[in-house]
Amino acid sequence: MSAAMATLLRRALRPLGRLPGGPWPAADVPLRARSHGAGLLYPDHIPTSPLQKALLAAGSAGMALYDPYRHDMVAVLGETTGHRTLKVLRDQMRKDPEGARILQERPRISLSTLNLGKLQSLPEGSLGREYLRFLDENRVSPDTRAPTRFVDDEELAYVIQRYREVHDMLHTLLGMPTNILGEIVVKWFEAVQTGLPMCILGALFGPIRLSARTLQVLVSELIPWAVQNGRRAPSVLNVYYERRWDQPLGALREELGITAPPMHIQGMA
Amino acid sequence: MAAPRSCVLWRCCGRGWSRAMRGCQLPGLRSSWPGGPLGMRLLSQEKATTETHFGFETVSEKEKGGKVYQVFESVAKKYDVMNDMMSLGIHRVWKDLLLWKMRPVPGTQLLDVAGGTGLTWVLGDAEELPFDDDKFDIYTIAFGIRNVTHIDQALQEAHRVLKPGGRFLCLEFSQVNNPLISRLYDLYSFQVIPVLGEVIAGDWKSYQYLIESIRRFPSQVEFKEMIEDAGFHKVTYESLTSGIVAIHSGFKL
Repeated sequence: MSAAMATLLRRALRPLGRLPGGPWPAADVPLRARSHGAGLLYPDHIPTSPLQKALLAAGSAGMALYDPYRHDMVAVLGETTGHRTLKVLRDQMRKDPEGARILQERPRISLSTLNLGKLQSLPEGSLGREYLRFLDENRVSPDTRAPTRFVDDEELAYVIQRYREVHDMLHTLLGMPTNILGEIVVKWFEAVQTGLPMCILGALFGPIRLSARTLQVLVSELIPWAVQNGRRAPSVLNVYYERRWDQPLGALREELGITAPPMHIQGMA
Repeated sequence: MAAPRSCVLWRCCGRGWSRAMRGCQLPGLRSSWPGGPLGMRLLSQEKATTETHFGFETVSEKEKGGKVYQVFESVAKKYDVMNDMMSLGIHRVWKDLLLWKMRPVPGTQLLDVAGGTGLTWVLGDAEELPFDDDKFDIYTIAFGIRNVTHIDQALQEAHRVLKPGGRFLCLEFSQVNNPLISRLYDLYSFQVIPVLGEVIAGDWKSYQYLIESIRRFPSQVEFKEMIEDAGFHKVTYESLTSGIVAIHSGFKL
């Protein structure tokens, strides 16, 4: 028998080692098997156990506080703590005719879906034109929003994605820049509007790093204004922005009961 | 890994990939496959050129190299921090033990493959090293061989570049030998590690790959046999931390 044959036989007779089914603890198997391909509810879905969600929530909250530039952590916090609230928001949308249409048609605000040329050509003061201006002035793009991953329901995953995409709309509607102060003001509005735990946490803890002077302005003028408008306005998730690009911004603000901000805060904070 | 300054230390930042389950691919152990060992070996070889594993996923061998590369591109920035966080600093103890085992003396020609962060490097492929035969006294690879697509080739290369009398040392994740600790380890691995990856490095998937690839790697005994197949002698292994890692050693005669 040749050396090659001997090696071959020796290997063939070797006991079987790492079968994919393996000696895994049974509880873990469904979760891990699900994490590739078949068990995904939507393309970027990462199924997580309750323990993982709890750890993620705690970790992302801590990291977002520690490093405010980790916007991804804010997103993760929202996804891991928002399940119950997202259901409420989804039900709210279902009851409203415009909201129900949004749920049905699932519009997305991204550079690939927006017709930039058309938006540019819209009249000054229209929602579309002002939204573009906002993107330009703040040097942001709708495409920097990370996809939803940790929500274990496909429709709710869309609702939170919608909430994120509407966030930029809110900046435009409220006239708030994307600096830290502007973000906090928008968070207060969103907290009152949506009740999402992540918004509430962001609203309460965001101001931690502000100077005393800025904090004073925030608390005495901006927060009351944001809260008032948030309570007065109907749900901003029920507004089909993509069908209202040519609506004058002023008219939309009036429709939603949104008043002008108490001051111009670009350059503050 | 830190090494005494008087050794000549080459670090080969390897980029060879491997399919670890050669043993279990042999269909003689599956009832649905026909024929004798030779026929099945050919069949499995055919299959072997197309598919392999990437953690718990199945990918083509061509893909695997690229995917593993992407993982390490992604984890590189926070590599040391993550290693410390995940192992609570214990990885340093393991690496110290490896060094202690090899007891390098001044003048030792040492090759450390898949070197990670640290000293000056030579870029190469673990499956095809850019060195002559019989060059090194010691070849080490710590937490690298698991990611190589053809582990057997990496082992053969290790054998080739070692001088006669040279020693092969590998520190790698292995199989836990205690059922209770195994459960705790699995729980920690699957529940905590990807979360750490997401929170610290913003990268869940790379760390999911990491823990899955650990489970795909052969056991202490199987890996010992693979090392023997590459021509090494006096192959031994030592499990550390209940078998979470193991140091394998072999000699080229």
